[in-house]
Amino acid sequence: MTASADRADNTAMRAGYLDLARAVLYREYLIFVRYPANAIGGIVISVFFFGLLFYGGRMLAGQAITDSIEGIIVGYFLWSLSVGAYQSISNDIGSEAQWGTLERHVMTPFGFAPVAFCKGVAKVVRTFLTSTVVLAVMLAITGTTLQLNVLTVVVVASLTIASVLGLGFAAGGVAVLYKRIGNWLNLLQFGFIILISAPVFELGWTRVLPLAHGSALLQRAMVDGTRIWQFSALDLGLLVGVPAGYVLLGYVVFQYTTRRARRLGVLGDY
Amino acid sequence: MSSQRPPRQGSRTAEQSAAPRDGATPALAVEGLSKQFGSGADAVTAVDDVSFRIEQGTVVGLLGPNGAGKTTTIKSILGLVLPDSGSVRIQGIDMSEHPRAAYRHVDGMLEGARNDYWRLTVRENLRYFSTIKGVKPDAVADRHERLLAKLDLLEKADEPVRDLSRGMKQKVSLASVLASESDLVFLDEPTLGLDVESSLTLRRELRRIVDERDLTAVVSSHDMDVIEDVCDRVIIMNEGEIIADDSVPAVLDQFTANAFAVTSPDITDDLLTMIRERFEVVDVTSAERGKRVEVATDSNGFYRLLALCRDHNVTLTGVGTVEPDLEDVFVEITGQER
Repeated sequence: MTASADRADNTAMRAGYLDLARAVLYREYLIFVRYPANAIGGIVISVFFFGLLFYGGRMLAGQAITDSIEGIIVGYFLWSLSVGAYQSISNDIGSEAQWGTLERHVMTPFGFAPVAFCKGVAKVVRTFLTSTVVLAVMLAITGTTLQLNVLTVVVVASLTIASVLGLGFAAGGVAVLYKRIGNWLNLLQFGFIILISAPVFELGWTRVLPLAHGSALLQRAMVDGTRIWQFSALDLGLLVGVPAGYVLLGYVVFQYTTRRARRLGVLGDY
Repeated sequence: MSSQRPPRQGSRTAEQSAAPRDGATPALAVEGLSKQFGSGADAVTAVDDVSFRIEQGTVVGLLGPNGAGKTTTIKSILGLVLPDSGSVRIQGIDMSEHPRAAYRHVDGMLEGARNDYWRLTVRENLRYFSTIKGVKPDAVADRHERLLAKLDLLEKADEPVRDLSRGMKQKVSLASVLASESDLVFLDEPTLGLDVESSLTLRRELRRIVDERDLTAVVSSHDMDVIEDVCDRVIIMNEGEIIADDSVPAVLDQFTANAFAVTSPDITDDLLTMIRERFEVVDVTSAERGKRVEVATDSNGFYRLLALCRDHNVTLTGVGTVEPDLEDVFVEITGQER
C-alpha cells in the first residue's frame, strides 16, 4: 500500500464513534443557536394551537376541559415532542438528499447506521428543549402543576418518541425513493394524536402501537407522580421493547428504500 | 466509547486481507462494471462492461457527452449506485465486500449538489466532514488551514457558506472533500459555475495539492481546459463504454498526425468541392494568406492533397499538421459535440 494509503490508516488520526457523536451533536447545536427562528417559530405555533385548544375547549366544554387539563397538557407535550422528532428526521433526510450530503453520510467508514443514530439522538435532544419551553408555557397559561420528576419524564418520554424516530426513518427512506411526498408523509403526524390518546387500558393490543403505551406511562408519571422504578416489569419491558421494534423496523425500511434507490440510481436525485 | 476495535490476534482486517502487499496495488481497479436502468424494451445500458485501473498519484479525466455514463460510473464506484455486475477495488479493498474500509480511502464531490452544509461556516464544514470520514479534525487542523489558504478561503473561513459567492461555495465543496484526507477523490465538474480566473486558480491549486499529497483523482468535467491542465490521463466514454484511454499527450498525439491544413488564395470553390469529394474536410476558414482548408487524413492522404493542389496550379502559402486540442479529440472520438 502506498504512503498516501497509509496516511488514511494512521490510527492517531482516526476519529472514533465518540468523535462522530460529538461532531453530529455539535452541528445540531450550532444550527440551533445560530438560526433560532425555526425553533422559536415552532414554539410559537405549538403554544398558539394549545391556546386555541384550551380556551376554545373551555368555551365549548367548560369544566370538562378544566378537569382533564393535566392529561391534555401531557398529551400535547408528548405530541409536540413526537411531531418535532418525526419532522426533523424525515424532513432532514429529504433535505440531505437534495443537498448531496446524504451521499456523504453514506460514504462514511462508520457506516450509515451510527451516523443516523447520532443524528436521531441530536434531533430528540433539540426537540426536548423546545417542547420543554412549550410545556412551561402551557403550565403557566393554565395555572396547572404537574409531577415533574426529571429522570422519569426524560426516560419515559425519550423511549416513547423513539418509536416515532423509527417512523421518521421509514418516512425519510420512502421520501428518498419516491421524492417530493414529504407533505403526504407529514399527514402522519396527525395520526400521532390518536396514538397518544389510544385506550391502552381498554384495548390491550394498542400498547404495541407507537406512542400509545409510553403515553399512558407518561400520564401516570406526570399526573400521578409515578416514578420509573414503580412501573411493573411488563410496563418497562414494553416501554423499551416497542420503540426498539419500531426503530429497527424504521431502519430496515430505510435500508431497503435507500438500497432500492441506489439500485434505481435515484439516491440524491431530487 | 472505544473508537476502533483492535483486530484479534492472528486475524487480518478487511484491508489487510483485501490488499496485496506487493506495493503495486492500484488506487482504483474497476473490472467489468455494468449498469442497466429499466427493463425490457425501456432498458437503458448506462455503463457497459467498463474496466480500468488507476495508479496512485495519477489524475484521470473522465470525458464523454451527456448520457455517456460518466456519472453512473462514478456513483457505481462510490457505491451510490449499485452496479448489476463487475467489481470495484479501492486501494485493493473490495467495495462491495468491505465498503466501510474502502470509504476510509475515497470521497467524492458530486455534480450539481452542495456537498456541504451552507448554514455552517467553511471551517466547521471541513471539521465536520473530516470527522464523518473518520479523521480527527484536530489532528489535521494545520492541513485544513493550508488547504484553506491554497484555495483562497482563509478570509472567509469563519463565514457561513450560504453567504459566499457561487464560486466560493464550489471551492468550499472541493475543500470539504480534500479535507477528508482520502487518497482517492472523485471530482464531478469541480469548476462548474466558476469564472475564468477562479477556474484557473482552482485548476492550478488542485494540481498542486494532488502532487503534494500524492492524491489520486478522477475529474469529470465538460471544460476540456480543466482536463488538459490537471489530468495525466484521459478516459473517454460514449454510450456506456470506454472508447479511449491513454495519457493526455498520447491521446492528442494519436490525432496530430491525422489532421492537416493547406492555405492558399488560389483555392477556388470548384477545387474545394473536389477536395470535399476526396477527403474528409474538417474545417474551412478564411485566413490572411487565403483560404485555409483542414482535412482529416493520414500522411499518404496529405501527399495526395498536395498533388491535387499542384495539379490545379495552387500556390500554397501555408502547409502543416493541425495540433488538436482535447476538444477536437473528443469530438472526433465521440462524434458528438459536448
